[in-house]
Amino acid sequence: MSYQATTQQFYTTRRRSSSNNGWNRNQNTVAFVSQVKLGPVAHTALVALMITVLGLVYLTQATRATSYDYQAQKIDSQIADLSTQKSDLEVENARLTALETVQNSNVAKAMTTPAATNYAQ
Amino acid sequence: MRLVSLRKGSRTAFLGVCLLAVMAIFVVRLFYLQIIKHDDYVAQSNAEQIKPLTIPAQRGLIYAMDGDSPVPLVINQTVYTMFADPTTVTDTSKVLDTIRKVAGGNLRPNPEKLLAIKDSRYQVLATGLTHDQAQMIKDQNLTGIGFQQESQRVYPEGSLAAQTLGFVNDAGVGQYGVEQGMNTQLSGHDGLLKSVTDVSGVPLTIGNQNIDKPAQNGENIALTIDRNVQAYVEKALAAGLARSKAPDGSAIVMDPQTGHILAMANLPSYDPSNYGAAASDSAFQNAVISTPYEAGSVVKSLTISMGINQGVITPSSTYYNKGSIVVDGTTIQNASTTESLGTTTMQTALTDSLNTGMVTIAERLGDGSNITQSARNTIYDYFHDRFGFGQPTGIEAAGESPGIIIAPNTVQGNAVRYSNMVFGQGMDITMLQMASAFSSIINGGVYHDPTLVEGTVDSNGNLKPATAKPSHQVVSAATSAQIKNMLQVDRKGNGAKDPAGYDVGGKTGTSQALINGQYSFTQTTGTYIGFGGTSAAKYVIMIQVSGPGLNLQGAADASPIFGDISNWMLKYLQLPPANS
Repeated sequence: MSYQATTQQFYTTRRRSSSNNGWNRNQNTVAFVSQVKLGPVAHTALVALMITVLGLVYLTQATRATSYDYQAQKIDSQIADLSTQKSDLEVENARLTALETVQNSNVAKAMTTPAATNYAQ
Repeated sequence: MRLVSLRKGSRTAFLGVCLLAVMAIFVVRLFYLQIIKHDDYVAQSNAEQIKPLTIPAQRGLIYAMDGDSPVPLVINQTVYTMFADPTTVTDTSKVLDTIRKVAGGNLRPNPEKLLAIKDSRYQVLATGLTHDQAQMIKDQNLTGIGFQQESQRVYPEGSLAAQTLGFVNDAGVGQYGVEQGMNTQLSGHDGLLKSVTDVSGVPLTIGNQNIDKPAQNGENIALTIDRNVQAYVEKALAAGLARSKAPDGSAIVMDPQTGHILAMANLPSYDPSNYGAAASDSAFQNAVISTPYEAGSVVKSLTISMGINQGVITPSSTYYNKGSIVVDGTTIQNASTTESLGTTTMQTALTDSLNTGMVTIAERLGDGSNITQSARNTIYDYFHDRFGFGQPTGIEAAGESPGIIIAPNTVQGNAVRYSNMVFGQGMDITMLQMASAFSSIINGGVYHDPTLVEGTVDSNGNLKPATAKPSHQVVSAATSAQIKNMLQVDRKGNGAKDPAGYDVGGKTGTSQALINGQYSFTQTTGTYIGFGGTSAAKYVIMIQVSGPGLNLQGAADASPIFGDISNWMLKYLQLPPANS
């Protein structure tokens, strides 16, 4: 990268107004010229750097999105796992409350037939 | 000047031309790849990166009722098939030790031999493993072992209502029963996930090619079957068959006020979770809906109600019973006795099951002494159009038979056939058709299309009742009241001992089996149909017992089973007796 030394210059432009011989409002009267001038190689390098930075930003975001995908996938897997456990428990519950299980339970075996039945009016 | 000098062939100009040519080649090539071949390469890329993944729909559950609450009869369970790649298994002894400890009865025979087959990449070591079992094996980090997840139907109540339920085959399609009859509602629709995946096949959300169509699970169906009634009916039927030493029997219990089927049972039965072990395919058939037969004298209850409704008889109407009656040259005899009993009431004709009384009603529907075309049309109107014989009832289970009834405008639909039909021969009907028709004549005269579906159950277990099926008036309420009373007299007159304070009535039927087109005198089917309740009938029960070479009677073999179930139903429904 090369720098070209220049002399700081201030230009004052005086424009004459045909109407009042003075300065027009809101017109720049001073232009700043930078002392640092970039050559073609420097420009190219800067552009390449910018592209690299933008590429890195893109890759970072894409990787982050992908990492979210893996997290989502992991959570989906956990949900599926819990759903399976839930359905297993439902099966177990259904088996435990099945008629045959209930009839063979100690509670059912201890039951007796009522001697008489009355009905509420 | 400068341009002129360039044109004259300087090296710079030559280099520029070369560069332009190379750039032109690049541009052309890129144009070809990116524009002309764009679609091809996109397709190749998608084929490599985008994978369609099917999201399987969960098959709907099937519930029975326990009082007012649905209870599961068929549910789904995720099970795992454990397989091995024998070429990559490194520690055979550890694999064998682990699966012997964990898999138990799910283990395939001789797993050590399966692992020794080194020219195979896939050997199933265990099937039907639960989630916990699979996890315990996974935790061992065994090399060369994999798992395949699948859903299977589980029957917590065992073989209860097996023929009504049916089963699901290996392809996931319902076979027989409700599983087949309502397969569309139960199946649902598979979903689709089409997504960009990584090298491991994990779906990623990046890309605009993702399609996520969620699976639509099948409906959870609640049946009208009451599991307590069903269990008792199966038990009582088995006990009755054992008493009669009969191999085959069927039973149906209906709510006559709604057409809801509370129980349907057939023996022999099978275990739907192991349907491959069934003795024969006939065990899968629900004979109540799929096996029409000549129901015999139970049809007399319908004939009497038809006669009353048409105004040609009353319960006390009389006819002269000579023990037999001649129709178009064919003599029809009473089954119980061929002796002349003289003047006989229609109540006696029903109680003693006299064929001559029924033929007399058919004649009175005509000109009084002949079963005319008009009489046959009337009988057909009642049996076919009003009671639904000869056409399917529309029950939701698969395999329903329409039965057979001969129309009166055909050669076969002559007076002799119709004289037989009025006492239950000459037409084939299913038990479901008979029970539905019988329900209509004792419930006030309204025929309800029979149904097995109580409603649907949502994911929270809440029941949403189904829309009521159609119904229509078949006989008047007055006719219904009279036939109901006659059936009670019939049952009492035949010596039944029912609990006091309840209205219980019924009719026996004993029909000769048709063997090679001839009525057999040594093989008969016993049938009983009846109702019970208080002022309004709460249930209708129909029983059938049969067996090759067996002479089975409605009164001796089927009626006791009815009595057993009827007495239990009165207690189960907690009906107070009229005089309590």
